Amino acid sequence: MSDIATITAAPIGSFTAEVFAAHLASLGDAPAWWLERKRAAYATFASLPLPTRTNEGWRFSNLSGLQLAGFKVERVDPNGQLLASPFGPAQLNFINNTTVGDGAGARAELAARGVLVTTLSAALQSHPDLIREHFMAQPQKLGSEKFAALHAAFVSDGAFIYVPRGVEVPAPIVITHAASGSGTAVFPHTLVIAEENSKATVVDHFVSVSDIPHSALRTPQFACGANDLYAGHGAQLTYLAAQNWSRDTLSFQFNSTVVRRDARVQSLNLHLGGRQARHESHSQLQAPGAFSEMLALTVADGEQEFDQRTLQIHQAPNTKSDLLYKNALRDRTRTIFSGLIVVDSDAQKTDAYQSNRNLMLSDDAEASSLPGLEIQANDVRCTHGATSSRLDPGQEFYLQSRGIPKAAADELLTFGFFEEVLSRLASEPLHDALHQLIKTKFKQ
Amino acid sequence: MSCLEIQNLHISIGDKPIVKGFTLTIASGEVHAVMGPNGTGKSTLAKAIAGHPDYTITSGDVLLDGRSVLAMEADERARAGLFLAFQYPSDIPGVSIANFLRAAVQARLGEGEDLDATAYYKRLYAKMDLLKIDRKFTSRSVNDGFSGGEKKRCEILQMAMLEPRFALMDETDSGLDIDALRIVADGVNAQRGGANSPGILLITHYQRLLDHIVPDHVHVMWDSRIVKSGDKSLALELEAKGYDWVKKEFAAA
Amino acid sequence: MPPTDTLSLPAADTAMANPVAGIDQSSGNFSYPQNYEFDAGTGLSENTVRYISEVKKEAPWILEFRLNALKKFLAMPMPTHWATKDLENINFDKIRYYLSQGQKPKRTWDEVPDDIKKTFERLGIPEQERKFLSGVEAQFDSEAAYSNIKDLVAKQGVIFANSTEALREHPEIFRKFFGKVIPTGDNKFSALNSAVFSGGSFIYVPKGVKVAQPLQAYFRINAENFGQFERTLIIADEGSEVVYMEGCTAPKFSTSTLHSAVVELVALKGAKIQYITVQNWANNVFNLVTKRGVAHEEAEIKWIDCNIGSRLTMKYPGVVLKGRKARGEVLSIALANDGQHQDTGAKMIHAADETTSNIVAKSISVGQGRSTYRGIVHIPRHLKGCRNNTECDALLINTNSRTDTYPAITVRGDRNATQHEASVSKVNEEMIFYMQSRGLTEGQAMSLAVNGFINDLARQFPMEYSVELKRLIDLEMEGSVG
Repeated sequence: MSDIATITAAPIGSFTAEVFAAHLASLGDAPAWWLERKRAAYATFASLPLPTRTNEGWRFSNLSGLQLAGFKVERVDPNGQLLASPFGPAQLNFINNTTVGDGAGARAELAARGVLVTTLSAALQSHPDLIREHFMAQPQKLGSEKFAALHAAFVSDGAFIYVPRGVEVPAPIVITHAASGSGTAVFPHTLVIAEENSKATVVDHFVSVSDIPHSALRTPQFACGANDLYAGHGAQLTYLAAQNWSRDTLSFQFNSTVVRRDARVQSLNLHLGGRQARHESHSQLQAPGAFSEMLALTVADGEQEFDQRTLQIHQAPNTKSDLLYKNALRDRTRTIFSGLIVVDSDAQKTDAYQSNRNLMLSDDAEASSLPGLEIQANDVRCTHGATSSRLDPGQEFYLQSRGIPKAAADELLTFGFFEEVLSRLASEPLHDALHQLIKTKFKQ
Repeated sequence: MSCLEIQNLHISIGDKPIVKGFTLTIASGEVHAVMGPNGTGKSTLAKAIAGHPDYTITSGDVLLDGRSVLAMEADERARAGLFLAFQYPSDIPGVSIANFLRAAVQARLGEGEDLDATAYYKRLYAKMDLLKIDRKFTSRSVNDGFSGGEKKRCEILQMAMLEPRFALMDETDSGLDIDALRIVADGVNAQRGGANSPGILLITHYQRLLDHIVPDHVHVMWDSRIVKSGDKSLALELEAKGYDWVKKEFAAA
Repeated sequence: MPPTDTLSLPAADTAMANPVAGIDQSSGNFSYPQNYEFDAGTGLSENTVRYISEVKKEAPWILEFRLNALKKFLAMPMPTHWATKDLENINFDKIRYYLSQGQKPKRTWDEVPDDIKKTFERLGIPEQERKFLSGVEAQFDSEAAYSNIKDLVAKQGVIFANSTEALREHPEIFRKFFGKVIPTGDNKFSALNSAVFSGGSFIYVPKGVKVAQPLQAYFRINAENFGQFERTLIIADEGSEVVYMEGCTAPKFSTSTLHSAVVELVALKGAKIQYITVQNWANNVFNLVTKRGVAHEEAEIKWIDCNIGSRLTMKYPGVVLKGRKARGEVLSIALANDGQHQDTGAKMIHAADETTSNIVAKSISVGQGRSTYRGIVHIPRHLKGCRNNTECDALLINTNSRTDTYPAITVRGDRNATQHEASVSKVNEEMIFYMQSRGLTEGQAMSLAVNGFINDLARQFPMEYSVELKRLIDLEMEGSVG
């Protein structure tokens, strides 16, 4: 009886102790503290139950979609079947948790200026202290403790980016994380440390590899990724994540952003792929002058569900956060946006904004918004807004009255809707790359 | 030579009749001013002819060169040669003027025909210069954050680019100061006189616009139909006597 | 059903022995010895429920309803997975669940016992409002003690009674709607109320009747550890209109007490119901109330809800928009001072085409006070032309005042629209300085600023309520500055 209860309370699906042991064995010369950490993470994963209906962090989520069975943790080398990145050549490529290809040339150029763009496995040997300090060091507060522990247990490699004090990296650092093969489970990770007064742009591109055209790709995969962004005193970090997993993927992505004094982090998450994709983003504004700009764009079609949970924590006075999450819903899709602004009692002069806009492009789509505030200081400016509506009939008529057919008018207006987010990017090439990527989804 | 015939048009919003029998024929190159007090159905007329879905044409017809446009969608009517200059143009955040006009011009090309981008921009800039619109405006979102005058100039810019056969100009003078009014009027006048000179239906409440865009015909609209027609002197008479004069004269009728 | 051994009908002397000890006499000279004829004792069991039903001489179906509710109450967990843990401080064993004077409701002011009149006096109800009391269904503890507007509105065919009376005299209408808007198991406290309810109003407005003056009821708690569980049901038949006003004031007590009402409104086709509450319970009261209305085709339900008192209020008036073109509105004002948590909000459940809802919530947190807005807006599948507009504004007076906002909005389809906006701010210092420069004290300036903040909502209150509201805010703002 009790065994059955334990299993239903904490399902581990394919991620059994045997699979975990095999994973540890595959890690070779990883340091003992790292292995110990992973063991602890696995124990946490295995002990925690799956979310239930009474869990506030999973309100409106499709809990029945959280199936952990039927996946395999593989580190096969698919012979360097690299995809061209829409963001330019990638400095690091991962397929099924393994680094492939050669971005060494570009990396060497950066290394000459002290900028490290390397794999997590290499950094474990060369910079263990930085990993200890920053790797998943922040508390999980948005409901996915279990899945974050799963990531920590099974992560085998990822990107490690270190920008030293005062160094500016003009070109974006691009990383491709690919999943190949049916049933594959991947655990991508990107760790970015931008030291004092440095400046950099990092792009994560998540994609499923296949020869089959995207529309026909029905490859069940499991992606459980995380990224840690740290912006030191005065640093300026731009982080872009384009999620384009296969349409049958169950996807989790956990972001932690730490913003120090006078630093600024701009993050933009584009969500295109996955059957059910959950994204948690947690920004901590730890010192005066810190600013976090949190942007997201979702294009949902078919029966996709996108579940986005955000937290903006103002821990110091004179900090700023600005969140804009826009979802376009087609067909029978669902989106959930649940955001919380927390202003600690000593975070006076906080300026926090949070906005969720849902564009309803189908009569079968469903959007839920839970924009929340928890404010414990009075000298603040905090506002939030959430709207759900279709394209504006007045705008449609205006475009049509100029001779533009309805379908073309609607597409113009939909891209106009995205543009409010895309135009926040300072880089025109990145703006255009995202625009093109979205276009490919509309063309499907 | 084209001809726009509005024949005994009846228009309703929902169940409520707004226009009850409006008849007017406009030929290419002619400017017809329709004047009348607020609430007499002038704007309804313009929007319904342009194909706004909120307005129902319950009887009558609108013929463009003898062909009814009523079965057409708004965009088909526009491509057939009708243009509505809005009284309150919509803001369209995120859609730049350049992309918007490109889409509109592209929509007028045949299947598989591509827009000549160089020629397009050359023409666009020439029209913008004429209307004293800063070229930087091409990258701004359509009407988003525009002043009243900028919006109206943007309307005339679109008219210049799309070269309609007939333009319905709905209270184009509203919200304009005298300088903006002159620029807008110059923009309209520049499109008159040539071989492709459009027929224009000028809807206005005030006479002052007619000092700048001189009409060939003036019609007074009251109680949702034309009650008096004349030349431009009728507008002056109306200005001097006020709309009460019209009411008194036609209330009994 | 005979009374049980443990809960026999009390003799007069045991009633006299009811303790009123523990009253904090220093915080308001409001209390005086009570003379309760019936007393269910403290604690809640099946026997308590049977006792209440017995005393009220209820039909068997009501007893069954109550017992079923008790089961649900006992089975349901405290909703602390989303609500405050302060709920755990309610000691259900120390609550007194039923108390009555055993009197029939009074018809005229002259017939009202002097001691009840004294209570109104002590509460400082002004002359102007006493005039209104002539049209009042006033509840004194668990039973209505006063009513005479009843006769007046009866001429229009309106039934205005306390719920006990209505259950006896109008079972056919009562039973048809009772518990239909808010099912017993809607939440733990609606279940509790369903088990032990007593008092509250029943109103039926016949087709096409527009009740000219607001119907009023005053409630108060006047015994330590004594919970009140009114049950109000208002039915506005097709095309009728009615305004109901509910005001609460209470003496200050030293230990916690519980108030858990259920209010159900039914607006049939084209009817309009406006329900106005000014809640000013003492700061030891848990005020856990379920209020909901069903609006049929082209009907309108408007909740005007003002919460100033209590230790913890949890109340989210709702409207189920069941008929085409139904309208729902919640206008809410909350003021949370030290030791208070106003957890209020609104629910709008759209269930028909072209339904519209509007929520405007304003809260003021003073000192360590905490105000919370929770809202649900739900527009389910395949409806068209539905709209919701929600605005939440929070004003924080002191450095450590607290506010939270937790809305949940679900929209399905591309033919509906929702809009939610919320803001948090403090009082504009320039404005305070400006007023001070004209000779106002900081406290006066702050009071004016706070009244300005809620002005657009307060204007929608009936005159005497907005006057009272302003007075209450002035009192609350005293000592908030400096």
